[in-house]
Amino acid sequence: MSFSGGWYPVALSNQLEPATSAGTRLFDREICIWRDSDGGVHAWEDRCPHRGMRLSFGFVRGDRIACLYHGWQYDMQGRCRFIPAHPQLDVPSTIRVATYPCIDRLGMVWMCSDLKMEMPLDLPIDRRDIAPVRSLYVDCAPIATMQALSARSECTVLAGGALISIHAGPQNMIAGFQPFGKGKTALHIVFLGSPEQYPGNARRSAAVWAEELRHDLEREPVPDTAPAGSYEAAPWRS
Amino acid sequence: MAKLTLYDYELDDQCYKVRLFLGALGCLYDKVAVDVHPGSEHRSARYLRLNPLGALPILTEADLTIYGAEAILTYLALKYDTARVWLPEKPETFGRIMQWLAFSGSILSAASIARAHALFEIEADETKVYRKARLAFRLMEDHMTKQQFDDTFWFIGNTATIVDIALFPNIALSRDFGVDHDEYPALRRWMAHVRGIPGFITMPGIPAYH
Ligand code: FES
Repeated sequence: MSFSGGWYPVALSNQLEPATSAGTRLFDREICIWRDSDGGVHAWEDRCPHRGMRLSFGFVRGDRIACLYHGWQYDMQGRCRFIPAHPQLDVPSTIRVATYPCIDRLGMVWMCSDLKMEMPLDLPIDRRDIAPVRSLYVDCAPIATMQALSARSECTVLAGGALISIHAGPQNMIAGFQPFGKGKTALHIVFLGSPEQYPGNARRSAAVWAEELRHDLEREPVPDTAPAGSYEAAPWRS
Repeated sequence: MAKLTLYDYELDDQCYKVRLFLGALGCLYDKVAVDVHPGSEHRSARYLRLNPLGALPILTEADLTIYGAEAILTYLALKYDTARVWLPEKPETFGRIMQWLAFSGSILSAASIARAHALFEIEADETKVYRKARLAFRLMEDHMTKQQFDDTFWFIGNTATIVDIALFPNIALSRDFGVDHDEYPALRRWMAHVRGIPGFITMPGIPAYH
């Protein structure tokens, strides 16, 4: 165990279209997130059991994802079902990819960072009407970013650090907090409300606000005092 | 009609911009393979006569010789896209197209250098070109993020233009020099749409499907 278990947002739901895959990181672990043709989301270890290719480079067909290198296909449980070089082979059930619990909530894709631990995602806010703004990738360490955001008057930390409520400009803005890796944090920003309530121009100004926030966070990084790699020491996840 | 000839290197991202557009236009052309690596043929007297800068792509048609991807895209659009969809004449649109073509020829070229450095060991200030390339991608991501609020999938307006062709290859090939697409969700969606352009062609490093 290299970090504390828990749920983290890893993408905006609308940026992961059906039948597509994307790579991301959580605490520097490479993660493949993909959405099947029926809209279900999956978060896997981003490594093909064959030769270690990143599965996020692969392509989704129906309820399977196929590796870009040699086309091995995996079902939604992470089990290899088809090997093109041996089409007759009944693939042994031991060939499988490690899968994380994964769910769509608040317009974001959430994954549980712990493969074994099954804990429910419990958020203080539950809404279906969401107007997505953008994912913001900031070159600033997660701990430093959290410290800087907590110090801002327009931000309130919720859900043990997984969500930040933002009171800048139009109200009801919220950001999912993704500790991406050592020097990088992602914020997944949405409005709590329908896209009709928050039309294009409102979301555009929120996106511009986010660009400025990124600029500030990168210009004046709060020194990251935590020892390298000890994410579990993060004060907001006690 | 005089024949179009493209002096080409298959692994060159700038040449791919031109091949991609010729494919989208459905133009027939001759391709002359230039031995850039390891032969450095593009720096030979024969090619310096065509382009004194010693770089590809070069396009010839009858007496005309034109080099540089952005210039070639502009020429091909004016000559072969009579409907003017790839390079609209409306001043507001045209101005913004020139702005992004200049972006492609300036800051974004850091991505070409970073890739040539990684693949062919071309000398470069690694830290500097990587930082510049990532900044260019971030500016593109910020732009495409905002385009989505206008419900458009393209860089400018509601249809694909030569800007989409000019900007696609560098980011699509960024993994060649170790820059993943993780941080660019808006560009990922845009790239999927570029792949759907009729006549789209692939190159090594850019598979048809993603
Ligand atoms: S590495 Fe994935 S199929 Fe070979």
